[in-house]
Amino acid sequence: MTAIVRTLDEILIAPAHPGRGATQEYFLNMGPQHPIAHGSLRVILLLDGETIRKVIPVPGYVHRGIEKMCEHLNYRQIIHLTDRMDYLSALMNNWAVARTVEKAAGIEINDRIESIRTIMAELQRIQSHALWWGVLGMDLGAFTAFLYSFRDREIIGEIFEETIGARLTMNYIQPGGVMYDITPDFTAKVKKVLAYMKRMVEEYDTLLSGNVILQERLRGVGILSEKRAVSLGCTGPVLRAAGLAYDLRKVEPYGAYEKAQFDVVVGTTGDCWDRYYVRIEEMRQSIRIIEQLIDDIPAGPTMVTKFNTKIKLPVGRYYNHVETARGVLGVFIYSDGGDKPYRLHFRSPSFNNMWAITKIAPGWRIADMIAIQSSLDLVIPDIDR
Amino acid sequence: MTEQIKKETRKIGLKDIPVAVVSPLKKAQSGLSALASLAKGMRLTFSYFRRPSKIVTQQYPENRATLKFPPRYRAMLKLIYEDNGYHRCTACGLCDKACPNGSIKVITRKGATTGRVELDRYIWRLDSCVMCNACVQACPFDALEMGHEFENAVYDRRLLVFNLNRYAGPPASVMLKAEESLRPAMTEKRDRYGGPVPLNGAQIPVVKPLTIQEGDL
Repeated sequence: MTAIVRTLDEILIAPAHPGRGATQEYFLNMGPQHPIAHGSLRVILLLDGETIRKVIPVPGYVHRGIEKMCEHLNYRQIIHLTDRMDYLSALMNNWAVARTVEKAAGIEINDRIESIRTIMAELQRIQSHALWWGVLGMDLGAFTAFLYSFRDREIIGEIFEETIGARLTMNYIQPGGVMYDITPDFTAKVKKVLAYMKRMVEEYDTLLSGNVILQERLRGVGILSEKRAVSLGCTGPVLRAAGLAYDLRKVEPYGAYEKAQFDVVVGTTGDCWDRYYVRIEEMRQSIRIIEQLIDDIPAGPTMVTKFNTKIKLPVGRYYNHVETARGVLGVFIYSDGGDKPYRLHFRSPSFNNMWAITKIAPGWRIADMIAIQSSLDLVIPDIDR
Repeated sequence: MTEQIKKETRKIGLKDIPVAVVSPLKKAQSGLSALASLAKGMRLTFSYFRRPSKIVTQQYPENRATLKFPPRYRAMLKLIYEDNGYHRCTACGLCDKACPNGSIKVITRKGATTGRVELDRYIWRLDSCVMCNACVQACPFDALEMGHEFENAVYDRRLLVFNLNRYAGPPASVMLKAEESLRPAMTEKRDRYGGPVPLNGAQIPVVKPLTIQEGDL
């Protein structure tokens, strides 16, 4: 099989003038600086009037070469770089690398660490989805939602600040354990936050979900079929909204997910509304998971390796993945036996989810493009890495 | 496994629409209910408007005196000084090795009286530090901690590279064994911008020495 790689110059040939009386297609840059890109994603649209004919995403504006940088860092130091990929699910990114290294090096993790990791990851999933909800509202012109979601995000952020010391780039889940043990009042505080978040998710519904304008803009817009979602490699809420119940937490349970009862939320049509409501419902499921785990966190040490000992992986290839707030984050390590990876690759969820816009946006108007791109919940540094 | 997943799958559908009255497809009947859905959101907004106690805004620069930080909050790195004024750093360099981006440089010297390796300068680059806490975790002597000062803006980025230690010399454990009269001779004063930090020397890559040139001021 051969793949034809075309440069941007070859793709962007100016459409011919159709002659008198007919409309002419034209190119329009959406981004790299556009309020709904939430980062620097350039999307070139081929437009006919206001109707989208073709979508060409041009990623790479936030490329920092994280994979290459990883080749020069040891397995403990890599963790802090993963915070900076999908910064809204930094803990899950940490976990992906930590899990791959642990599996490869044969480090046994005790139940306490697994429980703490799961609780933290689920807290962050709530935080991430809450932020996404507010930002979607803002993209569609409802600025109030943004302020509400940031208010609630802050409350979860305070828990992170107290337990971990940071809010965004946490570097918390490390090979062999977690950086700090939980604080004595962690359980009480998390319970308080969960009770609060339960009320707030209802409030989100009252404020935005039932709003007729939002429904008109999301229902039936940008339908992504299950087959197409699978062929594009979409994962996470985007895939589940398309109707496939694929959730790594259920399919290949890791951490303490096996101990908890929760539902995989799937959509029926795969439109923007399904992607919207799957995430709202996932917040409720995350609350459910934490509620089941928070009361009996097993006893044990929170770090099973010494920090200053080198972690060396045997020669070979290792792959492992976790479900982040956006989908499957896979980590592939090619080890040459040293304490640094010879090659490390991230299979990031946002990159695959991004290509969905090329298939679902054509035919819709620019205003719908905003709703479609926002409902995919792209984090640009995760696309470019 | 797939059977179990099927059982634990929740399909969202029409029943999940929070406002049952809204049906965008039947526009003719839904004019009033659509307005009602907007009013519902507005009611929530106004309920907050009427309850100012629920407001969470912090008046940041004004409330500096009352700002509270959790003990683990990570900001400016600092050496821990004991009550007697001595630090615990033995200049082993583990933090230097643990740092993922070379923000720490530990310069050692041979002690004049003890003859052993001791800390000369502990240079920290705030401009490249990512507050990952690896240095604090790596330190076997608990000599480092992340402080809580977070307002670090300066006009010249060279000011972001500086010494952390107040004196060059052995750590507290060695100092306390020595006789009190000998102690002053064992240490040498160090200030924030003295020695091979950008304000003086040029030993750190990329950052050039600070000499006032034309056009700088």
